[in-house]
Amino acid sequence: MRTRKIVIIALLVGLGLVLHLVENMIPLSFLIPGAKLGLANIANLLGLILFGFTAGLQILLLRIFLGSILAGTFMTINFYLSLSGGLLGYIVMSIFFYYLRNKFSIIGISLSGAVFHNIGQIFTAYLIISNDAIFYYLPYLILLALPTGIGIGLVVIFTRNYLPREIKGIDI
Amino acid sequence: MEKLNKYLTLYDKILIILIVVFSVGMIAYPFVTAYFNQSEDQEAYIYIKDKTKDINRIPLSDTYKEDPIIIELEGPLGISVIEAHNGRVRLKEAPEEDPSKICEKTGWISKPGPSIICVPNKISIWIERSNSELDAISW
Repeated sequence: MRTRKIVIIALLVGLGLVLHLVENMIPLSFLIPGAKLGLANIANLLGLILFGFTAGLQILLLRIFLGSILAGTFMTINFYLSLSGGLLGYIVMSIFFYYLRNKFSIIGISLSGAVFHNIGQIFTAYLIISNDAIFYYLPYLILLALPTGIGIGLVVIFTRNYLPREIKGIDI
Repeated sequence: MEKLNKYLTLYDKILIILIVVFSVGMIAYPFVTAYFNQSEDQEAYIYIKDKTKDINRIPLSDTYKEDPIIIELEGPLGISVIEAHNGRVRLKEAPEEDPSKICEKTGWISKPGPSIICVPNKISIWIERSNSELDAISW
C-alpha cells in the first residue's frame, strides 16, 4: 500500500505540474487582472481527499516549487504569490474537509479554497506593493472564484468516480 | 442545473449565497459612497507610486494635449513605460522579464476605482479625485 500511495502521489504531482503550466497559457487577465482558473488545485484537492492532509500538502508544495523552476519564476515575486495563495487556500480546504465534511460537499470545499486562495494572494501583493488600491479587485476575483471553484469541485467528484475502490479515500 | 443541484448540500448553497452577497456588496460599496459624497468639482489626479514608495501625482487635465505624457519608471525588473493621454492612463510597456505582464493587460483606466498594479515591478497607478495634503509634484 505504501509504494502504491507514493506512486499515486507522484502521479498527482505530475498532473498538478501539467495543469499549472497549461493554466498559465489560458488568458483570463483581460477579464480581471490576475484571474486564473485554478486548475492545479485539482491535484492537491484530490490528494487531500484520497490520502489526507500530509499528502495534499506534499503535492501542493512540490507542484509550486517544481512549477516555478520549470517556468523560471523560482524565488521571484510570482513564486511567493502562488505559494501564499496556495497555502492559505489549502489550509482552509483542510479545515473544511476535516471539521465540516458532513455539512459541505467537495464543491463547497473547493469553493472555500478558491476564495481563500485569492484572499491570500491579494494580501501578499498588498504587503509587497503597500497600496490598498489593490483590494479593489478582490470582490471581482472572489466572484470569479465562484464558477471556477464549483467547476474544480465537479472535476474532482467525477475523477473520483473513475478511481478503483481501494484508493477512493475517505467517504464523502 | 438540476444535475448540479444533486451534488450541492444546503451548506454549499449558503456558502455560494454568502460569497455572492459579500462580493456584490464590496463591488457596490464604492459606487454608493461616491453617490453620497459627490465631489465632481474637485480635480482628478493620476497617482503613481514606484519602488521607492514615493507618490507622484499629475492633474488629469494636463493629459489633454496633442502628445501623450510618457513616463519611464525603473523597478526591480526593469523599466516600465507609462502613457497618459486624453484623461486616461495606462502602462504601455512592461519590462521583458515580467512573466505575466498583468499591468500591461489591464489597459487604460480613466476614473477613480480601478488601478493598474504591477506587483513584480512594484509600480501602482490609480486615479483619485481629491485635494489631499500631498504637495503636487509634476514630472
